[in-house]
Amino acid sequence: MAKVVVIGAGFAGHTAALYLGSRLGKKHEITVISNRDVFGYVPSWVWVGVGHMKPENTIFKLKPVYDKMNVKFVHAAAKEIHPDDGDQYVLGEEVGSSKEVRLDYDYLVIAPGPLLNFAGTPGLGPENGFTHSICSLPHAIKARDAYLALCDRMQKGEKVKIVIGTGHPGATCQGAAFEYIVNVHKDLVKKGLRDKADILWLSNEPAMGDFGVNGVQVKRNGHVMKSQEFLTSVFNDHGIRYQVQSGVTKIEEGKIHWQNYEGDEGTTDFDFSMLIPQFKGQPFKYIAKDGTDITSKLTNPAGFVLVDGKYGLPYPELAQTPEAWPARYQNPTYKNVFAAGIAFAPPGPISKPFTNKNNLLIAPAPPRTGMVSGVIGRVVALNIADLIEKGEMTHSEPMTEMVAACIASMGDSLWDGNAVTIVMQPVVPDRKKYPNEFGRDLFTSHLEMGVSGAWMKFMLHHTFIWKFKALPGWTIIPE
Amino acid sequence: MQNSQEFSKAEKFWMNFKLYQLWRFVVLNLKILAAVYQSKRS
Ligand SMILES: Cc1cc2nc3c(=O)[nH]c(=O)nc-3n(C[C@H](O)[C@H](O)[C@H](O)COP(=O)(O)OP(=O)(O)OC[C@H]3O[C@@H](n4cnc5c(N)ncnc54)[C@H](O)[C@@H]3O)c2cc1C
Repeated sequence: MAKVVVIGAGFAGHTAALYLGSRLGKKHEITVISNRDVFGYVPSWVWVGVGHMKPENTIFKLKPVYDKMNVKFVHAAAKEIHPDDGDQYVLGEEVGSSKEVRLDYDYLVIAPGPLLNFAGTPGLGPENGFTHSICSLPHAIKARDAYLALCDRMQKGEKVKIVIGTGHPGATCQGAAFEYIVNVHKDLVKKGLRDKADILWLSNEPAMGDFGVNGVQVKRNGHVMKSQEFLTSVFNDHGIRYQVQSGVTKIEEGKIHWQNYEGDEGTTDFDFSMLIPQFKGQPFKYIAKDGTDITSKLTNPAGFVLVDGKYGLPYPELAQTPEAWPARYQNPTYKNVFAAGIAFAPPGPISKPFTNKNNLLIAPAPPRTGMVSGVIGRVVALNIADLIEKGEMTHSEPMTEMVAACIASMGDSLWDGNAVTIVMQPVVPDRKKYPNEFGRDLFTSHLEMGVSGAWMKFMLHHTFIWKFKALPGWTIIPE
Repeated sequence: MQNSQEFSKAEKFWMNFKLYQLWRFVVLNLKILAAVYQSKRS
């Protein structure tokens, strides 16, 4: 009987656990270790952050799902990984009791999502800083409370400044911040308070609509439309000001410090700000049999797990080398260790990085969205099942061959809400397969805005929660 | 887009015209499903 341990129960880990449970659960031991006993449907935290969705509607308990899928659940935070042959295990700390737990494994899936590195920007974040975040459920609730308090001030006639975007020169997840800014706009319009707020988009993207993926380009009526024009139109239409090519370096109470591509240093005042922090890998310790710390052998300096990618290529070369992107998410040294979702180390950025004259690198990190994370979770699970049952892997899915669909909510109302529907094929440009300027299939890629997007977003919330609860037919709902 | 930086009145009309949007909802779902199944799904 083989033992498979999955660290983390988010989009990647939970998807992997469901596939592992259904393929192997009856004959082998599948264990999930997670520091939270609930699954969180992260995309809907945007709505929690404006007070449009109850937090409890975005989560559900994991244990009943795992019981059904023959998966063991351990409510603990992993902290150490011992990957050496013969004695391979994960050490964790039980939530609530701080008791140490040891989980032996034959195969390990590392999928704990990002460490939200607020410390990377002095003054950033809701815990020790002055800004808000919607990257965790408690953060989204805190952002909601602060935002609603701000609305009260506006009701009394006060004019306020709202800044939303990225809080670090290397931050990713611009899509979530984009959704939040337009949802805030829509909410203020509904409340009759829009004229009381000056709203600014502040981002490290090289251009509007870049999203850390070099933008999205689609062919429409014979000409190429870019997300840059599209998003600029959205912001112009909504009266949202924008400033891109800017890396936030420090926050003080009511003041954001940034530097731009030109190397200019400036400040922006705010009454309420939601800025996405830099993402790092979870700070696990990797320990060899002799007790030495081998973390640097398994992860890159940011703590993301090294997998079967080609690392170290300079950007211009990487942009022309689609095969540098990992396909199986397997660690090259420890072949029974896989990383899924945000936890794996990408070989480099997708968008063009920029270093300004002060040597500040302004470069959005590549996003590993929910869809991408889910797909990787499935690929890793199916390969582990292959290895156990047949001795060899048969699945591979690099981000250069992966399609991603993203519905960016712009108001949740099913009557007058809105959303931008974005389809990218592939996520990471492949200039060999698609020899156009953008390295993408411009026919399959899609960009469209309308109330139908709001219906899609609503439908996705319910469909995905259905899938993640492993309710009947869950396997036919694509990740 | 009218001048690539602004949506035209007609575009805004279609974005909110429910019958047309119902059609787009069906098309978008099919488009996404087709893209997902066409892309490498190993
Ligand atoms: C507000 C917001 C909106 C978004 N909207 C979209 C969207 O519309 N579409 C889209 O595709 N993507 C969206 N994303 C991105 C998407 O949520 C992420 O890509 C996805 O959650 C990443 O999946 P993951 O499994 O790698 O990490 P996570 O989903 O973060 O899951 C990691 C899990 O591991 C657990 N964990 C952490 N540390 C430990 C530990 N030490 N031990 C055990 N368990 C641990 C965590 O508690 C968590 O449950 C959004 C992100 C945000 C923040």
